[in-house]
Amino acid sequence: MTMRRTGSHHIESVIEWFEIGLEEGENGILVYPNTQTFREIYMQYVKDQLVAREEQKENVDDNNNNDDDYHDNNNIRKEQLLMPRIILIATFYDTVNAVKHNLSAVGIDVQSHIDDGSLLIVDAFDGYYPNIDGMKKLVASLSKRARKEGRIGVSAIVNMGFFFLYDGDKAASELISYETSLPSKTDGGNVRGFSCYHARDYKNLDDSQKKKLLTQGQKKSLEVIESCADVAFDA
Amino acid sequence: MQGLASLLAVVVRLFLPDKKQKDKDDNKEDKPLANLLVVDDDPDIAHVLKQGLLKNGFLVNAFTNPEEALQNFQSNSEDYCLMLSDIRMPGISGIKLARRVKEINPNVKVILLTSFEIKDNEFSKVFPSMQVDGFAQKPISIKDLTNKILDIIGESKKRLYQ
Repeated sequence: MTMRRTGSHHIESVIEWFEIGLEEGENGILVYPNTQTFREIYMQYVKDQLVAREEQKENVDDNNNNDDDYHDNNNIRKEQLLMPRIILIATFYDTVNAVKHNLSAVGIDVQSHIDDGSLLIVDAFDGYYPNIDGMKKLVASLSKRARKEGRIGVSAIVNMGFFFLYDGDKAASELISYETSLPSKTDGGNVRGFSCYHARDYKNLDDSQKKKLLTQGQKKSLEVIESCADVAFDA
Repeated sequence: MQGLASLLAVVVRLFLPDKKQKDKDDNKEDKPLANLLVVDDDPDIAHVLKQGLLKNGFLVNAFTNPEEALQNFQSNSEDYCLMLSDIRMPGISGIKLARRVKEINPNVKVILLTSFEIKDNEFSKVFPSMQVDGFAQKPISIKDLTNKILDIIGESKKRLYQ
């Protein structure tokens, strides 16, 4: 399924898709129109998942009372809030330091989230080169750690720009082969994977390659279009 | 009278510039050192590079969209002496752009720029098939970049610049 979102609320639409559109264990494809939009997406998502979560936890602490049922439910809720998901940002067009800077600029205490294991920012290049399966291994290790630490799961926001770095006919087939190797859904999985494509990179694929990318893996996808035109959904 | 005498004694000396020196200075001011194509998807970096290199005597065309840069190069390939390009750019990477530029005009020198740590392995996949004349890591001062460009485009132009 492809969903196209346009207009001024595109960031909210993408965040909604990240949170509701994809279930635990699913991998989806996001096409973003420009680098700034991609930055806004990961900044908002990290803020919602890690900062807003901390604020909710503080509210739970403040609302504590002596009612046993309330106390039990509240403890479960508090425990959930204590263990946020792990967010992996694999950046390609911005450096790791630039991503940290962008997150800090919107009030996120980046270092404390990195230190407590909730946030990991890596250069996507290192995840694919020299071993193309490096990123999969990294995500698998995060999934394992999330289970061990009692976390809800892992969100992997991965920029796919690496696959467009080099020339050659094999580049697109390497990408399609990689993307189709990621299952659209893993039962019992705890990872939400977002393969993120810059629109200018995505445009380099021809129609049959785009079709293969989406249909061979039966992936859910969201294409954010820059213009403020109508919202369009494609089934 | 005495006042007039002292007035007449004033010698006006005009220092006319040495012709060779004048020619050299005129050359420096009027003639660009080289025509450069600058490509970086970050508008701030493209702007800073353009302004800095213009100030140092180059003629610069800067683009944030590599596709537009390539179109411009295709139409004016003989005018350019060197292309300075970022590596990681959406649409056409610096590596792809360098290859296409060299295919169109092999005489054009290419310097690739990157904010990322320059790792040999990043380029080993495309070397030695790719002819890049130099690499530079951002941030780089305009002075260092100018020297790098001059090193690559030739000693004669370097002497003119100095």
